[in-house]
Amino acid sequence: MDYIYSVVILISLFVVLATSFNLVIGYGGLISIAHPIFYGLGAYTSALLARDAGLPVPVAMLAGAALATAMSVVLSLPALRISGDYLLIASIGFQLGMIELIKNLRFTGGASGVSNIPAFLVPSYGRFAYVVLVICVAVAVVLLVRWIAHSDYGRAISAMRDDEVAFAALGRDAKWMKISIFALGSGIAGFAGALYAHYFRYVTVEQFEILMSSTILTMVVVGGLRSPWGPVVGAVLLQILPQAITFLNLPPVLLGPLQGLLFTGLVLVFMFVRPGGMIQAGTTWTSSAHTKASKP
Amino acid sequence: MLEVRSLSKSFGGIVVADNIDLSMRKGRVLGLIGPNGAGKTSLFNLISGLFPADAGTITLDGKPLDRLALHQRARLGLSRTWQHVRLFPSLSVIDNLIIAARDYPGERLMSVLLTPGKVRTAARSAREKARETLERMGLGNTAEKSVGDLPYGQQKLVGVARALMNDARCLLLDEPMAGVEGRTYEAMQRVVREVASSGVAVCVVEHNVAFIRDLCDEAVFMFQGRILGRGSVADLTANPQLTELYFGH
Repeated sequence: MDYIYSVVILISLFVVLATSFNLVIGYGGLISIAHPIFYGLGAYTSALLARDAGLPVPVAMLAGAALATAMSVVLSLPALRISGDYLLIASIGFQLGMIELIKNLRFTGGASGVSNIPAFLVPSYGRFAYVVLVICVAVAVVLLVRWIAHSDYGRAISAMRDDEVAFAALGRDAKWMKISIFALGSGIAGFAGALYAHYFRYVTVEQFEILMSSTILTMVVVGGLRSPWGPVVGAVLLQILPQAITFLNLPPVLLGPLQGLLFTGLVLVFMFVRPGGMIQAGTTWTSSAHTKASKP
Repeated sequence: MLEVRSLSKSFGGIVVADNIDLSMRKGRVLGLIGPNGAGKTSLFNLISGLFPADAGTITLDGKPLDRLALHQRARLGLSRTWQHVRLFPSLSVIDNLIIAARDYPGERLMSVLLTPGKVRTAARSAREKARETLERMGLGNTAEKSVGDLPYGQQKLVGVARALMNDARCLLLDEPMAGVEGRTYEAMQRVVREVASSGVAVCVVEHNVAFIRDLCDEAVFMFQGRILGRGSVADLTANPQLTELYFGH
């Protein structure tokens, strides 16, 4: 049963990560690969504050999300002042730099990572309570991003993504809007990291490297960019498929490459056959009021 | 209203604005004419803040604009349209206008998250204003359509309508008549006249000399980043030297 709980928690956390990444890259059109490092910053911050500083876990979790948000502003503030493409370059540098920093600091446990992270909910209420918590967070994040996308803010995001210069010429501040979207997406990722840390109770920096970036990107692309439900489908599919492969009883030497092939193959297939992903987003923005009104 | 003094800009060796002086007056329509490459659109780009000038000053009602970014100048009431329309293809016609409303609160995430009711109310009043503006332009029946589905002439009108949502005090129209004919031509003339008579200073870049002649109170002739002539459109078009520069030999 513990295995099932772990899989459900991982799927839910990837739903949170893919959905928040969809907000950044899909709705916001901000090309960044650093999403996993904000997940990692949330995990490390929450773990260290709860374990070493003795903060209550919920407070440490919020602090993890806050630090991820703050660091995303530090990254995006200079990068977005120049041009969108610089964010991609800056995000690669930021991710690699942060990984090296975490690996080489003593209080982060270096390459060995952080262990003995205080558990949350599980000791008092059992693992199922934590599963319920993470699922609730995943549902809340999906609904929040969906609501934002179809709100008046979503209208502004769509316009900014279409033509940033024309958007600014209307008196709209595109730079702060991009920073806000990036900060919100990164903060959510940070909170997901904190949730991970206090369930699995062990984090290492390797979990947040480039491979993780490609995993999340694949989930969003395969599921459906700019669709609220696309990343959910992508996260579920791409978490279940690799787990399913492990039941094939293949030699371990084949399992890793096969999983890598699966991810790469899916991205290639979807790029050529269905570039909009499994759940394709509409081409014209609709408000939530309009969406409700148009339902039968 | 809008004063441009000694404005200069060059990109490498190419001079797009050479010591330009220009005044736009409240309620008046100024035409900006000249051959392709004369620097007319570049002048609009400098005034609106798309890129900074090398030298010179721009003031709107006495307030210097030189250090302000594109969006900050727009917030002061400096509105513009684009030669290639630049509407937002993922939005409907009315949403293209709502997004341009002066007090549109939907660009601030915290407001949307913390005071959604207030934002919805403001967006509703922006929607009403957008509907009125579309009706005024004769585009009332296109409100819910996707902008990409409109003929090019109507897209141009939507571009002007969008610029008007900002309660512009100064309006820069970049080739509003390019690709426009028939009823849209008349609608554009009527709208620009109405806008100017409401006290807005209007400047029009246009190759359609008949449109400029019918509409503008005065005009300036630009060539290679310099202003070579000022006066009525009739006077400028009657000048053989300027006509030769415009149409070639």
